[in-house]
Amino acid sequence: MNWDATDNLIIELIKKNENISNFEISTILDIPEDEIVQRIGKISDTRSKILIVDDEIDTLLPLQRSLEVEDYIVVGASNGKEALIKAITDIPDLILLDLMMPEMDGYEVCAKLKTDELTKNIPVIMLTAKDTVREKVKGLDIGADDYVTKPFHLIELKARIKSVLRRSKNQ
Amino acid sequence: MRLRSELFILFLIISVVPLSAVVYISYDYGKEAIRESVMYNLLGATDNTGNAIDNWMDARKDDIRVIAQSRVTLASQKEHFKEFLDTFEREHKGAYMEFYLLDLDGNITFSNLDRTGNESEEIYFIEASKGKTYVSDVYQSNITGAPEIIITSPVNKNGDIEAVLAARVSLENLYRIIEKIDIGKSGEVFIVNQNGDIIFHENRSRILLDNIKNNFAVKEVTYEKNGINEYVNYEGKNVLGSYYWMSLYRWGLIAEQNIDEAYAGILMLGRVLVGISILALMGVIFLAVVVSDNITRPVKSLEEGALGMVRGNFRPIPVASRNEIGRLAEIFNSTAVELLEIRKKLESKIELANKDLEKKNKELIDANKELRKLDELKSDFLSLVSHELKTPLSSMKISTEYLESDANIDPAGRKEIHQIILRNIDRQTRLINDILDLSKIEAGKTELKFEIIGIKELADASYENIKQLAKKKNISITLDIQDNLSPIMADREKLIIVLNNLFENAVKFTPDKGSIILSAREDANGITVIMKDTGIGMEKEKIEKIFDKFYQVDGSSRRKTGGCGLGLSISSEIIKAHESVIHVESEFGKGSTFSFKLKKNG
Repeated sequence: MNWDATDNLIIELIKKNENISNFEISTILDIPEDEIVQRIGKISDTRSKILIVDDEIDTLLPLQRSLEVEDYIVVGASNGKEALIKAITDIPDLILLDLMMPEMDGYEVCAKLKTDELTKNIPVIMLTAKDTVREKVKGLDIGADDYVTKPFHLIELKARIKSVLRRSKNQ
Repeated sequence: MRLRSELFILFLIISVVPLSAVVYISYDYGKEAIRESVMYNLLGATDNTGNAIDNWMDARKDDIRVIAQSRVTLASQKEHFKEFLDTFEREHKGAYMEFYLLDLDGNITFSNLDRTGNESEEIYFIEASKGKTYVSDVYQSNITGAPEIIITSPVNKNGDIEAVLAARVSLENLYRIIEKIDIGKSGEVFIVNQNGDIIFHENRSRILLDNIKNNFAVKEVTYEKNGINEYVNYEGKNVLGSYYWMSLYRWGLIAEQNIDEAYAGILMLGRVLVGISILALMGVIFLAVVVSDNITRPVKSLEEGALGMVRGNFRPIPVASRNEIGRLAEIFNSTAVELLEIRKKLESKIELANKDLEKKNKELIDANKELRKLDELKSDFLSLVSHELKTPLSSMKISTEYLESDANIDPAGRKEIHQIILRNIDRQTRLINDILDLSKIEAGKTELKFEIIGIKELADASYENIKQLAKKKNISITLDIQDNLSPIMADREKLIIVLNNLFENAVKFTPDKGSIILSAREDANGITVIMKDTGIGMEKEKIEKIFDKFYQVDGSSRRKTGGCGLGLSISSEIIKAHESVIHVESEFGKGSTFSFKLKKNG
């Protein structure tokens, strides 16, 4: 969760006094009360966040919508570089990673994620049209937690997402 | 065993065996001859000496007989007789020691030495008184100690024996006779009587009348035999002795010679033969060495040559002679040279073959690499095609499933999803059409619909299709085509596809704010269409491959530029169907120019 300094101040104030009102916080931090309400809502949001990485906007968009319906927070990235940045700033609970992307492909992104201390514990599900055993093994070797071939059934993907999230939370 | 030693031994055997036989036989013959000659000489000398003694004795006997018969004796004039005898004695140089007369009673009646006495008991007196001339045994003189004999002869007067004349005769003269027998240093010459007593010995100091009957020669001679033999003498020495019987006086003359001395010639012969044999043997050994060397040397050099040939450092063998071995060496040399040449040829052939093999192997490896690369390209392409086909499908599937879900979707969102679905259906359709088009053209199943058309019209149509895309990238497109160009005969739709593809590629590979010029030039043979861009261009080695199916200049950039590598393949096939080719000129980083020529109508 990408909290900024203001969010941290709000949390500090709430920790000192559990019964503090939004108005009091607004007065102390000199921020409008509406924003305080929004920020507290965001901070207290317990939904899982999923980062979808796919260069095909036509795939990314319907997938994002479908997962949002399932009550996930969804962040999109259309290439490898963006994905690596968002993995750090947005701290997703799970990453859905397309393999065939220009410039930096899914294997490279995954390898980088898995070698970075900040991101190595984020589970990764690979999405790809490549369905040979060799490619699946390569993906899993690099550190992917699961592998789903395109085209897939939405329900299956959702089930796998739930399963991977459950496992990562138990650890 | 080595050939040289074998030959050496063989030569030695061949020469030494007959040599030894010859030497042995000559020695044997020589020995016999020497022995015979020695014996003959000794025997001859003994005979001669015996004869000489006989003659001398006969002469003495005759002397006495003649004196006895002479008138001087008969006259018995003593003074006169004495004078006569003295004269006779002088004439015979001391052979006669004494003359004396005996009467029939044995009394000495006269002696020139004035001796007296009676000798009637002496056998020489008795025999002479019976009328015989008699020679006594040898005795040693009382006076001189020299051996002497007494010869008696009857003195007849008127037919009756009146007296006996006796003479003492010194045997001193015999020494001189005997000296003529050569018996060497150790030899002995002596005379024995019938009893085997030595009555005379050439060594004056020998005591006479020493009986040596056990001597072989003495035995033989006392049996009145003559001869020669080898035996052990009375002194126990090996001797060669010859013996001669003088029957008149019953004397045996014996000449003995030490056998070693007698046969010294044989020893000498043996020494000479041994010397000759040693010299001959040395000569034979020398010859055997030389001959076997001469024979084995060329054989040895043949052997060395053969070894050299086997080891590869062959040197021609020196040909020393014209005989069989020399010819063999010559043949060997020429054969070796031929073999070496063949070997060289073979080696160079093998080398060539090896090089060829290496080259072919390299070619195979290269071909294999090429194949592997092609295989990789193919599987790359398949995976791309599969991705290209699956991506729109996947998008449509997700979208549809989303719409199907129970989610509460607002109308705007729903519309957005619908548009995604439609867009992906179009994309899928286009891709499938491209693949189908290409396979049809490749299979030669596309029939071109030829019609008369103007280039300008085609260019305008194609420009309409691309201009939106060019505008997005801020690329300027210029059409440099004059209105008055001759019409061409071509398939309108297919040529538009070609121009579209070329435009799409040009836009794809030209950076923002670049420019593209499409121009057409007419000449006598037809109209050349040229599309020039200011794009990224490409390396020369890639130009050949861009018309290959599935080929992408830069694999990793395919997603950035889009397309699946079929556009140029399709275009190339279409232009080929118009009996022409697409030419490409390009320089990396400076843009590319695609051109093709079309036939004019008629």
